[in-house]
Amino acid sequence: MGVAAPAIANSHGNHVVVVGGGYGGAVAAKYIRMADPTVKVTLIEQNEYYYSCPLSNPVIIGIRDMEVQKWGYDGLKKHGIDVVIDTVTGIDAGSKTVTTKGGKFKYTKLVLSPGVEFNYAAIPGLTKEIAHTSMPHAWKAGPQTLLLRDKLAAMKDGEPFVMVAPPNPFRCPPGPYERASLVAHYLKKHKPKSKVIILDPKDKFSKMGLFRGGWKELGYEPNYIEWIPAAEGGKVTKVDAATGTVYTDMGEYKSSCINIIPPMTAGSIAVASGLTDKSGWCPVDLKTFESTLAKDVYVIGDSSAAAGLPKSGYAANSEAKVAAAAVVAALQGKPAPMPSYVNTCYSLLAPDYGISVALVSVFEDGKITKKSGGLSPSTASKAHRKQEAFYAESWYQSIMADTFA
Amino acid sequence: TSGMMMGADARAEGITAAALANTCAGCHGTNGVAVGPAMPTIAGQPAAHLVNMMKEFKSGERPATIMDRIAKGYSDEEITELSKYLATQKWGNNVANARLSMKTGTPFNQVDDALVAKGAKLHESLKCKKCHEDNGRSMEDDTPRVAGQWQDYLLIKMQDYKNPDMKVPQPKKMKKNIDNASLEELEAIAHFYASQK
Ligand SMILES: Cc1cc2nc3c(=O)[nH]c(=O)nc-3n(C[C@H](O)[C@H](O)[C@H](O)COP(=O)(O)OP(=O)(O)OC[C@H]3O[C@@H](n4cnc5c(N)ncnc54)[C@H](O)[C@@H]3O)c2cc1C
Ligand code: HEC
Ligand code: HEC
Repeated sequence: MGVAAPAIANSHGNHVVVVGGGYGGAVAAKYIRMADPTVKVTLIEQNEYYYSCPLSNPVIIGIRDMEVQKWGYDGLKKHGIDVVIDTVTGIDAGSKTVTTKGGKFKYTKLVLSPGVEFNYAAIPGLTKEIAHTSMPHAWKAGPQTLLLRDKLAAMKDGEPFVMVAPPNPFRCPPGPYERASLVAHYLKKHKPKSKVIILDPKDKFSKMGLFRGGWKELGYEPNYIEWIPAAEGGKVTKVDAATGTVYTDMGEYKSSCINIIPPMTAGSIAVASGLTDKSGWCPVDLKTFESTLAKDVYVIGDSSAAAGLPKSGYAANSEAKVAAAAVVAALQGKPAPMPSYVNTCYSLLAPDYGISVALVSVFEDGKITKKSGGLSPSTASKAHRKQEAFYAESWYQSIMADTFA
Repeated sequence: TSGMMMGADARAEGITAAALANTCAGCHGTNGVAVGPAMPTIAGQPAAHLVNMMKEFKSGERPATIMDRIAKGYSDEEITELSKYLATQKWGNNVANARLSMKTGTPFNQVDDALVAKGAKLHESLKCKKCHEDNGRSMEDDTPRVAGQWQDYLLIKMQDYKNPDMKVPQPKKMKKNIDNASLEELEAIAHFYASQK
């Protein structure tokens, strides 16, 4: 750990370097090895342990331990993957070299899955420092998840939980609303004079009908959740960390518990390496996920601009398998195979109330085209919602094993 | 070996069966071996059973929470190919799982010995063993393997079979026997099958 492994692949061998050991990168590394165990694969990840964002919202309301979110890289080593714990500081697509704090790695193919970066400056008054101390986003699972949990626990009954939702596109479209639901569930029990105020720069959001139907059914709306869309003054103009205040055109909101989820871009290493376009995300060929800006570099997961797929863990998993198959085919001198994509996202409105969205798509006419999918029925029974909450936990266990075991 | 050989069973210009099946792994686990506690393992089940399930999910004849929405995304030919592929994968169960469930600290799939013993008797007395031979391991006549399937899934399925409103397709003889069993008895059977490796 720490010190980079021998950096240069032997001259006759192919060397695939994967950067980022999360929902996208870890799966790509594993599925390349499963498809062709002769390929040398090095996975470079900056952290020794990965904390899963999916199901981190239950941690915030104190019904789930952070330990259950924590995963290590021993399972991937068993697939013959060289795991290097180090931070990538540069990518040179010309000389096909990845530079880390501790060394240099030459690659034949590079797979990049660095997740997201936050644009703090887009919200006047917000800085990275403030996010780490007083106004956490908790949009990367880890210390901020625990900070937000502790702030919620310490919040006085009667204070609002103020959430600033991000503009599109962003990591996990239903995520802010799942969080608001679970916090409302917590407040109802523990701080009945408080409510969640969602300040939203949008006028609609993912699974909106199902969420708001559930909010009524569960008695969250209007007493425990107030959603303020852009049209009604939801857009934040500035924040003041010293006084704990969020300002909009229509008013100001004060609390000791403020959760600001800033606008997002591709991971900083992708931006710094010139792999993003004006949108702030990485354009890719949707059949292979190879960057359209740099040959032999494949960008998957939240960082990629994959029109037709959301920025979710399941989509990152699906994209990783498409890229893995494309990389292996290319190394074997074969044409890229036809991809198949699936996305599903479960959201919990309460510990025993789950809803989902599903999507099956194919590659057609250069685009990712929907074949089937959709939302949980709006009129499902309580038993059905409970089963979905149950399946959400199972989904988590299976996808984490698919990623790390 | 994983059996995932890109292109090995490719249909002309189509999607390989492996590429299709790999997208299921997010829920059903790598190569169809689920980690539980409620998602079923689909690896190594009889191809005909998988085809049947998928087609009934697709048509809406078989009630589901999510598979109906997913199965509609595949052609009948793709369903056949991916089912044949999954049938060749190794059945797995009780994947070593150190993770803890929610905050309770309870490991998954804790079979209760007393319930296992009770379930073993019911497996005989309710004549389940006529079809689910060898303590549920048999896949003769394309009967799905129930031995070592996740316990919570087995119970959900049996409750659904029993629920008259859901009208789940099922063999007549099985329906009669499951209808005769109480919820407690079905729970014991779930423990028994789940305990069988
Ligand atoms: C609260 C919340 C709930 C969510 N719930 C769900 C859900 O229920 N279902 C779902 O499908 N998705 C969910 N998501 C979304 C999901 O977490 C992301 O879409 C997913 O993590 C994206 O995978 P990724 O590989 O792109 O990025 P990540 O999983 O973030 O992985 C990126 C990795 O790259 C590493 N890295 C970055 N830069 C470098 C560098 N320079 N050098 C070395 N390593 C680097 C990081 O340390 C990290 O480990 C949720 C997200 C949030 C915030
Ligand atoms: C988002 C999660 C999810 C995905 C993705 C998914 N499944 Fe399922 N699967 C389930 C759930 C949940 C059930 C239980 C039925 C239900 O409620 O939908 C199930 C049940 C099944 C069953 C019935 C098993 C039995 O013996 O009773 C089969 C077969 C199956 N799935 C096959 C597949 C295949 C093939 C794919 C991929 C093409 C797939 N599933 C993708 C969640 C998923
Ligand atoms: C007549 C033969 C027969 C008998 C008797 C029978 N089963 Fe079944 N069982 C089947 C078949 C066939 C299926 C697949 C049915 C389907 O499509 O849902 C099945 C499915 C199941 C499943 C779901 C497996 C899965 O993967 O989806 C369970 C659980 C089960 N049976 C339990 C029982 C129990 C308990 C009994 C006795 C009380 C019983 N069965 C009696 C034939 C039988």
